[in-house]
Amino acid sequence: MISLNTVRTLQVTEERARRVYDVAAAGDGGKLMVTRGAGRRVREALGSLLEGLPRGGVLYVDTRGVELMDYSFADEAFGILASRMTGGEYGDRHLVLIEAERDLLENIEASLRQRSLAMIRVEAEGESPGIVGDLPDHLVETLQTIYGTDSITNADLAKKLGLNHTACNNRGTRLAKLGLIHRRKETAAPGGRQYTYEGIA
Amino acid sequence: MSGVLTLGSLDAAFTAAADLEGEEVVVDLGSIDFVEPAGICGLAALIEYLLPRSRGIKLSLSGSDVPAYLERMNFFRLFGGRVETDRDISALEDRRRHNPGTLQELVNFRTEEEIPGIVERISEILENQGYRIRERVAICSTLSEVCANAAEHGTDPSSEAGFGAYAAVQAYQHIVSGGTRRGEEVLVAIADGGPGVRQTLSRNPENAGLTTTDNDALRHALSMGVSASGELGRGGGLPLVAQISARASGSLSLRSGTARVTAYKERTNSRNVPPFPGTFVRVSLPRPSEV
Repeated sequence: MISLNTVRTLQVTEERARRVYDVAAAGDGGKLMVTRGAGRRVREALGSLLEGLPRGGVLYVDTRGVELMDYSFADEAFGILASRMTGGEYGDRHLVLIEAERDLLENIEASLRQRSLAMIRVEAEGESPGIVGDLPDHLVETLQTIYGTDSITNADLAKKLGLNHTACNNRGTRLAKLGLIHRRKETAAPGGRQYTYEGIA
Repeated sequence: MSGVLTLGSLDAAFTAAADLEGEEVVVDLGSIDFVEPAGICGLAALIEYLLPRSRGIKLSLSGSDVPAYLERMNFFRLFGGRVETDRDISALEDRRRHNPGTLQELVNFRTEEEIPGIVERISEILENQGYRIRERVAICSTLSEVCANAAEHGTDPSSEAGFGAYAAVQAYQHIVSGGTRRGEEVLVAIADGGPGVRQTLSRNPENAGLTTTDNDALRHALSMGVSASGELGRGGGLPLVAQISARASGSLSLRSGTARVTAYKERTNSRNVPPFPGTFVRVSLPRPSEV
């Protein structure tokens, strides 16, 4: 897993709605999470919670109480969900995994890598974020820069990364589509607009 | 058959069974003195294969260890009404069932919904036996993935052997799978009566050319992302099971059709073998002695 720990823990500039889903304690969950059928049920529960969040909201999925998670479950619950989020099915709503560095992550990582996707992971709410899954180096660098600020405009991000605005906007768009950052469109004088990026965890 | 009952020791019986036309069959286990999970699953698959082809099946047994082991592993409970034995086994049924080494008796399953119960039971037994969480996760992940494959592909209604799948797991206080290493070992075996790996993977046109032979198909099945459906995210379970067994310096053996492929840490061996109707998986997870 790639760590974003090079950056400070941040306070998001605007308070966003957040909910926590404890997989081990939830009715659809448990300590032993195996098979695609079980993963499907958890994914459906997560999907309902995501749909119930306001725009910009963050759903924290806590898997720390799960003892065993096989690949099939991980792919069905997290891989497919991440894929659908990237496809825009849940709009501007985000998912953050709460999990420690342990073997259980291997199956989530394998599923996300196979799908060329990534998720933000924290060891506990409020802790420094990291990435689980597959993200190209240039996007990791961009993500680390964004998470190193409370909030950053595309222009400032471009300057920090030594990119032109279009290239930087492309990276920001990709990260937002992957659900790894929050992207806001703001009006910029005179009569223009600019994007602002923020971390989600 | 002699010595250890493995799937390989049933090869001749499977070959002969293919030509049966309703005769009575005797399966001679008289010279067997040790049965591993692969053997009991193979025996279950053989009987399922024989039942529609024969007039009756009789098991020839000798000694007391093997019949007692088969009883402990629930074999007679599953097959008692369908096969005869050449000796009275009712006394075995009255014995106190106590075998701390048994993790999972022979179990027949058909659906994915049955798998969490199997995994949960094994996890509890492993925990009671002092297995660390990491070891339990490795064993249970292996079992659930292989069982899920069997449940998904082993119940093809067009298959002659529509028995679903059989699984058995055993923990040994020594290394069973060859070598001179010291330690313990867990063996997982699962046999299904589905159409086999080559036919299953051939449903996906992307696999054309990589499934020309059974050996090709089995090797291909060990690659990440190879599946019958071609859906993104599918086909990750078996390669991860191979990784888990390799990390433990164990092995994953797949058998289907006329091929057997065994994946170790640093090599993968292929062999042509007599045909097996369905798919068979054996996973060895050694637990080296702590220094």
